[in-house]
Amino acid sequence: MTDGKRPDDSRTGGLGEPGAQELAERSYAIEQQKVNRVIRIVTPFISVAIAILIGSLVILASGGDPVAAFKAMFEGAFGSQRAIGETLIRSTPIIFTGLAVGFGFRAGLFNIGAEGQLFLGGLAAAFIGVQLGSLGWYVALPAAIVAAALAGAAWAFIPAVLKARTGAHEVITTMMFTYIARYLVDWMVAFVIRAPGTIPQTAELPVASRLPRFSDLLPFLEPSRGHAGFVLAVLIAIAVWVILRSTAFGYEARAVGFNQSAAESGGISVGRMTVKALCFSGALAGLAGAAEVMGVHYRLFSSFSPGFGFTGIAVALLAKNNPLAMIASALLFGAMSAGAGTMQLQTDVSQKVILVVQAVIVFLVGAETIVTWVIGRVRGKREVAPVAA
Amino acid sequence: MLREIFTPELFASAIRMATPIALAAVGAAICERSGVVNIALEGLMLLSAFFGVMVALLVGNTWVGVLGAVAAALIASALHAWASINLRSDQIVSGTAINLLAVGLTGFLMEAVFGQFGSTDSVQTLPPVFNFPNGGPGLGGTIWTWINTVFLSYTPLVYVGIFAAIGLTWALFRTRWGLRIRALGEHPRAADTVGVSVLRGRWVAVLLSGLMAGLAGANLTLEQVGSFTENMTNGRGFIALAANIFGRWVPGGAYLASLLFGFAQALQLKLQLFSDKIRIPSQFFSMLPYILTVLVLAGVMGRAIAPAAVGKPYKEKG
Repeated sequence: MTDGKRPDDSRTGGLGEPGAQELAERSYAIEQQKVNRVIRIVTPFISVAIAILIGSLVILASGGDPVAAFKAMFEGAFGSQRAIGETLIRSTPIIFTGLAVGFGFRAGLFNIGAEGQLFLGGLAAAFIGVQLGSLGWYVALPAAIVAAALAGAAWAFIPAVLKARTGAHEVITTMMFTYIARYLVDWMVAFVIRAPGTIPQTAELPVASRLPRFSDLLPFLEPSRGHAGFVLAVLIAIAVWVILRSTAFGYEARAVGFNQSAAESGGISVGRMTVKALCFSGALAGLAGAAEVMGVHYRLFSSFSPGFGFTGIAVALLAKNNPLAMIASALLFGAMSAGAGTMQLQTDVSQKVILVVQAVIVFLVGAETIVTWVIGRVRGKREVAPVAA
Repeated sequence: MLREIFTPELFASAIRMATPIALAAVGAAICERSGVVNIALEGLMLLSAFFGVMVALLVGNTWVGVLGAVAAALIASALHAWASINLRSDQIVSGTAINLLAVGLTGFLMEAVFGQFGSTDSVQTLPPVFNFPNGGPGLGGTIWTWINTVFLSYTPLVYVGIFAAIGLTWALFRTRWGLRIRALGEHPRAADTVGVSVLRGRWVAVLLSGLMAGLAGANLTLEQVGSFTENMTNGRGFIALAANIFGRWVPGGAYLASLLFGFAQALQLKLQLFSDKIRIPSQFFSMLPYILTVLVLAGVMGRAIAPAAVGKPYKEKG
């Protein structure tokens, strides 16, 4: 996209026309860029298609009917107002975790432990939501949401500092912190902030600290459980997009992600940026926990996340780490997850198959070259690619 | 109480707990020495743990189950090798894909094949190699009991782990093959220039790591537990990566580092038995291995130097 091959003005005196050879080279380079850009854009779509195909084969191999299964899944995701609400609900936390993982990638960090930061976010939201619920929603809602973001950031802080100071790889440390977070939340809901009763869980959030449902505003949406967390997620996605594009913080994060030594020579402290970026990523993941606790369950228990943090990896990769594309990508995975239950009920195909589809998508999108390779194979058999004149 | 905690069984339990981590870590050392990060260990172990049990149940023979476990891990490793070596995709992303695939596929197949949730039926676990009686009272008897329990009480794959650690350390540093593997991870271009095939060398290393991770999974289900439980690896694959780093990318070092994690695991399980006496919730004991992993990694990093070309795809000169 940059004019890397600009004609050498000093040699041509700034007036001379570029030679024929040079023109041909440039047009070839532009052609290549176009091809690359097309591949970049179609890769996610082809990946999803191949993943669904492989998912179908898995269903077929286990004796199921893939067409019926995916039909039931579609129905469960979009077939009714309630279904659409479920799709929005499932998409909400993974927009946040997708943004978290994606922002990390942009800064050159792999925050595989978004799940742990999500747990801490849920913990903070549940605690603050109950404590401040009597102060009215205008205090309770923002306080609980901010607390969740801060808790998520705090949980990423130690891995971030270790990464910056010692180089300890964030993939291992954030993963370890995810296990620690699970046991921490397990202990908190079992002993520390447990509500009376036989089930280890916190007290129910007062109405003031719950995210409002769409049906509160538009009563005809009654059967849908869709809640304002989705709107918040979309707004945050736009905010992250703006931050990455037009703020110094976003620019520095991208610079570090792109080339550490260049960023360092450009006057950016890579260590400090690493800490900031991973904590910011953790804050985004923490919001996912808040959305689940304040919008769906209204309380915290130890199994409140079925792995939204890990789905966030797939969401981010499919969206090519673009915050706006993240919304669409999360809706796709959210729809699959919402429809999977219906699929299992109607066709007896285990809903775990969507995890297989997710993994295949990660594999294919992560290895862009595989799709390029497939395209090359298909093309090579049919025709010879036209050569630029 | 100390005498109740530090029994020969504690040390034997430490070695048993260390074995799945060690098997995977020893393989990881070879893999990373060749320049390929194998973040997929967790998924490889999970897959092999499951397929080990499945094959053992279908065939009715636990040893065939071990073969099934290894085959599953090798197939998944081949996928990782193809993506990261031939197609030069991001090694950490392709490893993550295998981890996600393992969770999904094992969960799916558990319901599809066994019609069960949570865990599978049990298989006959592999018996210990030796079966000597413990010593009686008195000093001689006590010494024999310690030797017997700490060294001679294990199932076959535990010994495989020890021999693999020794053998692969020797191979990596004393053979032509080992020199080549190390060259691939330090300076693949130089190795390529003198005619060593980077592709083939890395493929062998990744598959070897897959074989070891397969044995690790087999050890979990076919020697220790006897059945498969969802997500039963519980981060051991990641701990194995940390052990490999702590062991400075030397198979033997990785084994010794795994012993530390095994000991932490054994100790925390033992301490949980006394948790009513010391009044610490069990969750804190469960956290210990993970906290230890972070501490070890933080302590050793900066001083341990990774192979220079690890994680970097290499394009062979045509």
